Amino acid sequence: MPPRLFLLRTRPAARLALGWLLLLVIVGALAPWLPLPYAPTTPDLLQVAASPATSSGHYLGTDSLGRDVLAGLVAGARRLVLLTLPAVALAILLGTLAGAAAGFWGNRRLRLPLAAIGWALAATWWGLRLPGVAFLCGLLGISAALTLLTWRAARHPTGHRRYTCALPLDGMVLGIITLLGSVPRLILLVALAAGPPLATPQLLALLALLAWPEAARLVRGQMHWVRAQPFMEAAQASGLPLSRIWWRHALPHACRPLLAFGPLSLAGLVGLESALAFLGIGQGPDVVSWGSQLASVRHDTTAWWVAVFPGLALFLTLLALQKLAKLASSAVHK
Amino acid sequence: MKYFWLGSLLSLLVSACSAPPVKQASSPVTIRWSRDPGTLDPLALSNPSALDAANLLHVALLSIDYQANAYAPALAQALPQIRSLGDSLTALDYELRSAASWDDGQPVLATDVDFTLKLLNCPGLPNEANRAQYGFIQEVRLDPANPRRFTLICRGRGEDITIASGDFPVLPESVLDPAHTLRYLSLAKLQAWPATQAPAPAVAALVQRYQQANLAREPSHLPGCGPYRLAAWETNHQLRFQRKTKWWADKLRPAPQVLQARPQELVFTVLPDDAAAALALRRHEVDVYPQVPARIFQQLQASTKAQAEFAFYSQPSYDILTAGFNTRRPALRDKRTRQALSYLFDPAGLSAATQLGQGRRTVGLLPPGSPFYNDSLPLPTLAPDRAVALLRQAGWQRRADGHWWQPGATSPLALNVRYRTEEATFATTALQFQTAAARVGIAVTLLPAESSALTNLLQTGDFDVYIRLIKGSPFSFNFATFLHSSTIGSGNITGFSTPLTDRLLLAIPTEGDARRKRLLLRRLQAVLRDEMPLLPLFYLPTRLVVNRRLQHVIPSGLKPGYALTALSWPAAANSN
Repeated sequence: MPPRLFLLRTRPAARLALGWLLLLVIVGALAPWLPLPYAPTTPDLLQVAASPATSSGHYLGTDSLGRDVLAGLVAGARRLVLLTLPAVALAILLGTLAGAAAGFWGNRRLRLPLAAIGWALAATWWGLRLPGVAFLCGLLGISAALTLLTWRAARHPTGHRRYTCALPLDGMVLGIITLLGSVPRLILLVALAAGPPLATPQLLALLALLAWPEAARLVRGQMHWVRAQPFMEAAQASGLPLSRIWWRHALPHACRPLLAFGPLSLAGLVGLESALAFLGIGQGPDVVSWGSQLASVRHDTTAWWVAVFPGLALFLTLLALQKLAKLASSAVHK
Repeated sequence: MKYFWLGSLLSLLVSACSAPPVKQASSPVTIRWSRDPGTLDPLALSNPSALDAANLLHVALLSIDYQANAYAPALAQALPQIRSLGDSLTALDYELRSAASWDDGQPVLATDVDFTLKLLNCPGLPNEANRAQYGFIQEVRLDPANPRRFTLICRGRGEDITIASGDFPVLPESVLDPAHTLRYLSLAKLQAWPATQAPAPAVAALVQRYQQANLAREPSHLPGCGPYRLAAWETNHQLRFQRKTKWWADKLRPAPQVLQARPQELVFTVLPDDAAAALALRRHEVDVYPQVPARIFQQLQASTKAQAEFAFYSQPSYDILTAGFNTRRPALRDKRTRQALSYLFDPAGLSAATQLGQGRRTVGLLPPGSPFYNDSLPLPTLAPDRAVALLRQAGWQRRADGHWWQPGATSPLALNVRYRTEEATFATTALQFQTAAARVGIAVTLLPAESSALTNLLQTGDFDVYIRLIKGSPFSFNFATFLHSSTIGSGNITGFSTPLTDRLLLAIPTEGDARRKRLLLRRLQAVLRDEMPLLPLFYLPTRLVVNRRLQHVIPSGLKPGYALTALSWPAAANSN
């Protein structure tokens, strides 16, 4: 039996955690087709802040605006599926690529033709519509000249390194990671999301932007270890191109810690998204999530059911993700 | 570290278990405000907090006696003597109290009243709402024999103009116009000054001085003759007002109710969130909590501890929950579209949900008990079928995608709704409208905003539909400030006006004959109901919770819901 499945069989808590997460994903994915008596944003004006015991048709009661708590829980699960999961996937993808590239090529191994830098600068200048047409024309001229020189040098057997410069990829990635890490994540998110409510893709991009540095840092560290392995030297000695070594041989090994990191990152983003929703920042009042449900208890502090059920869902989800991370970590180190 | 947490926990427990602080007679009275006043410029008071603050700094000729629920003389010695001048004019003879003086000891004179009225009509100042409200005062005649006597010549007749003629804060001429340059310009001339014409040099200089004084943030630059001065202002947190040690009205015997200022210090704590305000009340960080939401009021009343600590008051108010339509938007120009949308609100359900059924439904801007109420109009109700029929009449066509389109339009009928955040009544109303609109194929986006931002957004016309409170009054029916064409861009947020409504709005406050006034008001209600620039949903009750130890609590259905300056703590000998 594979070690991961063996772990699953021997740990009931892990099975429960996986079961809960699976249930969430299924409920979230099928939310529009579930036979719920009420929509999450529809207020029932005759049953405002009704408890589960006294309300008719509202199995988990209603909040202070008359919205069904059960429908809100389902909407929260859907938000997890449509927003948080894709955000984590995007963050891990970005972080993996950036961290792996930085760790593999470092500051010197990746060389770019000077002409490419010139063209990129010119394109940026033009794209941002910056003033100075003469400067832009000069930049284009220099880029064209460099392109010609690079092409001629490439025809010479020893000239392929001429007119190129090393791209400090590692320094750049580390710089961005340090910049993003210098401000607490929640504060940065609140600052960026303040203003008009964001659409789901915008919020998704924002969450991914804040979450990718952790994955990048992890993969970069692992890549340093991978680079020192004998099989990497063997691959280079065999004459394989660096890009192929990076993609086919180094990257799969550098990504192994992500198995345990993924659930933890998801837990972090679930907490972050809930905090944002609790504060009512970045999303409209007609978007229901567990965080916004928790916030609505402020209007009626006696409505315990408004806090307990979303709080329980949030707690169980975070606990399940922690368990899953632990399970994955055990499997990786087995 | 663990000792730190243990210490924090212990201190929290101790603070939670400690008895409420004992208040001395000189202790400040702390009051909850739901919003910051934003500006204390006496000409541009934009919200109830600013009005409350202005009433502490300045005194008007007449003020509301909350005990008698009527206007009473404040700066004036008595209510004005009323004389008819011909068919359409009324002369109101006032005399100022001889004791009334400014902080520097100079007496408050008729020239100050004359100056204030000119300031309220001065071109170039932010006084559009004041112009609409006090435009009926045509002339100020000073009595050469008595510098405290003057006569206001007003257009129209009736009790309304008597009350309205004295309901503005009197400002000192010596501070803003020490050279008395405005005395050479008549009030009528200032009122009739064309908007396109450059202001007179004296006016331009005054406007410049006024703007340089920065009265919005520095009210001390224009000291009023009110009982308090602003001691501290932390924006969106707290305002502190201190009682003047020597105030002219202290000498009056007997002290009129409207000129009593008992608290030595008034502290207004800005707490936009109602739950936070309720918590502050329970923790005795706030002594007075006005405009309490129905559910929090009910919860507090149900608590034995709260019953022992607080006194509860509830009565009908003159605040109307309204939905307004931006009539400048092409989609909302047709009154049938606005009528259709009005059928998507559920006033009965909303009153039940947000006010526990205590909201009074109304057909218009007058309370149902008023003799001027137009009872021939039906109450607004939720009727999606009628909404659909009216949309069709207005030329909207429902396409296969379920949305409504005008022929040749590039986008379907879709609306945004703006309202003040942190208010469950507004949020519930917005959600109910959104749900009802979605059922008939209209997409509605909810855009709540913080109160000061909301005011700006509404005044600049950045909305389709708004939900807000309109402050009513039982004393006068001057709706020109938010419905007349001259106030579009300031008070008139919907942008609606017609020549007929303008005529009615100007005629109503100055009409002295009760029968004709009733006809005019009923006509106005009918016209507004037909044109539907705004939909009054229901009148809210006002609920007040105060610290039980506070004395002289006079609750009222009028804003701010109680007599603010009458409150006091018991003397030290009686305190326990």
